[in-house]
Amino acid sequence: MAGEKSENNQIEKLMDAPVEFFKDGKQFLSKCKKPTGSEYSKIIRAVGFGFIAVGVIGYAIKLIHIPIRYVIV
Amino acid sequence: MSTTPPGGQRTLQKRRQAQSAKEKQTKQTPTSTRAAGHGGSSSSILKIYTDEANGLRVDPLVVLFLAVGFIFSVVALHVISKVTGKIF
Amino acid sequence: MAKFSYFITVRLIDVVKPFLPILPEVELPYEKIEFDDRVVYTIFSGLIYLFAQFPLAGIPKDLESNVKDPIYFLRGVFAAEPKTILEFGIFPVIASPLLLQLMAGLRIIKVNFKIQQDRELFQSLTKLFAIFQYIILSNVFIFSGYYGDSLTIAQIFLLNIQLVGAGIFVTLMCEVVDKGFGFTSGAMVINTAVIATNLVADTFGISQITIDTEGHQEPQGSLINLLQGVRAKHKTFVGAIVNAFNRDYLPNLTTTCVVVAIAMAIGYIQNIRIEVPVRSTRARGMNNVYPIRLLHVGSLSVLFSYVCLFYIHILGFILIQLIGKNNADSLICKVLGHYEIVNNILYVPTFPLSSLAPPKSLFGGILEQPISFIAYPLFIVITGIWFACNWQAISGQSARDIAKDFKDQGITLTGRREQNISKELNKIVPVASTTGAAILAAITVLGELLGLKGKAAGMVIGIAGGYSILEIVTLDYQQNGSGSNLGQVLSGQFAL
Repeated sequence: MAGEKSENNQIEKLMDAPVEFFKDGKQFLSKCKKPTGSEYSKIIRAVGFGFIAVGVIGYAIKLIHIPIRYVIV
Repeated sequence: MSTTPPGGQRTLQKRRQAQSAKEKQTKQTPTSTRAAGHGGSSSSILKIYTDEANGLRVDPLVVLFLAVGFIFSVVALHVISKVTGKIF
Repeated sequence: MAKFSYFITVRLIDVVKPFLPILPEVELPYEKIEFDDRVVYTIFSGLIYLFAQFPLAGIPKDLESNVKDPIYFLRGVFAAEPKTILEFGIFPVIASPLLLQLMAGLRIIKVNFKIQQDRELFQSLTKLFAIFQYIILSNVFIFSGYYGDSLTIAQIFLLNIQLVGAGIFVTLMCEVVDKGFGFTSGAMVINTAVIATNLVADTFGISQITIDTEGHQEPQGSLINLLQGVRAKHKTFVGAIVNAFNRDYLPNLTTTCVVVAIAMAIGYIQNIRIEVPVRSTRARGMNNVYPIRLLHVGSLSVLFSYVCLFYIHILGFILIQLIGKNNADSLICKVLGHYEIVNNILYVPTFPLSSLAPPKSLFGGILEQPISFIAYPLFIVITGIWFACNWQAISGQSARDIAKDFKDQGITLTGRREQNISKELNKIVPVASTTGAAILAAITVLGELLGLKGKAAGMVIGIAGGYSILEIVTLDYQQNGSGSNLGQVLSGQFAL
């Protein structure tokens, strides 16, 4: 009887760990400050602009590669 | 309310000096290889090489130029293999 | 007792000592580098990496090997392009310090970080380990027949030199940026640059690629494909639209939409933080907030999960291809599963190795590999959370270290006693990093399960990294950018 009970306890503890994790996480998230609409759009604009700028430069380099590849290989 | 250590004024000064020297030393030795940067933003970047050089020293500009040179050597390899045909 | 004095313990970092004279290292800057110069160094490192995506020399031209790309879903994360000299991207450069620092933090390797010499040895060990991995990976791929079945010795030698040389230069370039000549870390700069490039290429790419034996060509970019497909003669209107959204062998519009959605989600998450109200003990009335971000560990947890995945799959590749020769009847393949060729480019693992690989596409995946829908998410989430748990204690930003910094700078939390700073922070920081890691892992998994083949994970890391870069650049600019010419030009354009 005692063996069964300790086994059940262990399984319960194992199942409790992810549940507790979710609870902690949800509590944490509710305390957090979430970005407001205007902040969010500012961030998206800044990061998006930077990203696309880098992407365009990179793609320009890829375009340079194509004729080089054609000539060489 | 700080308690004055025994020994009078001069030992107090010496203690303060020793403490500030020790603090400076502990500040310079981080607890891990990633010494904290400013703000809270350095935990999410992976700064790998931060310490003093110990091997074959190279100037950073040399590194960049050598990298470009390496790429051109690969291009040259392609050209050679195409020109000489059957070596590779 | 006296016997112990004869017993010399060889620590792992001492292995590096004989290699030190030939291991190149970049010098630390003598004085602080100007803002403009740092921007130039950073951008140039990224550009050189992009420029180096050059096909390998020495491969026989019409390559019809039976060994295709086994790690196609891992390439997005590590900026690796198949059949170029950057075949493995920055994988060793990232994997090496992540693993070694974790091992040092968990005390598996004995390193004492307070001794300057130990730190230097550790850094050199990281570099040596990275180069070593390049060598091993190159040879695995060469000898598995990935570059063709019969290679002469000269070809093998040349391939080795190219791949390992590229690896060495990537390592050195990362180091240049790391040492202060550029912003943040070279690995992240390179990663963000490559992922941005791939995004633009996959959306707006106009290079035509032949797809089938009839010689039809389709553009690489999904948007361009839509435009072209509508006007193409060999496809109906509806067929073109369906093709634009669904084609498997090149990027399609669904992947583009998913990738953009992921980017916006991460942009939102980037800014979720707990603002800890602090005040200064020295200057009265200075009320500020110290933010602890949800992505405190940032994209590193996803990187770590993918490093583990990479190792597992490379091991599988070695076993299946090198030893088992991908023969479906051999013992190894019966245990691990073999590879199947899909679309003539990809090498898709079958069960059971496929349980740890993201499925090719959503619906096909549900039918063919149901277990990977469970095993793969669990793997990514669990490794990510484990990493976040341990990393935030190891890196220099754990609760204890922040509390020490606070004390040194004379800052305390509002409304609390000074002695309790560490405890208060300890309630917040680990929860923040593990929750952030879990959320990032969930987003990655969601993207990958929709069949993105590595682009989702790459996007996650790229945007998170890109935001870190942006933060650090703006911080640096505010602090010392007043003499910068670039800043004056740009700030006239928009107010950030």
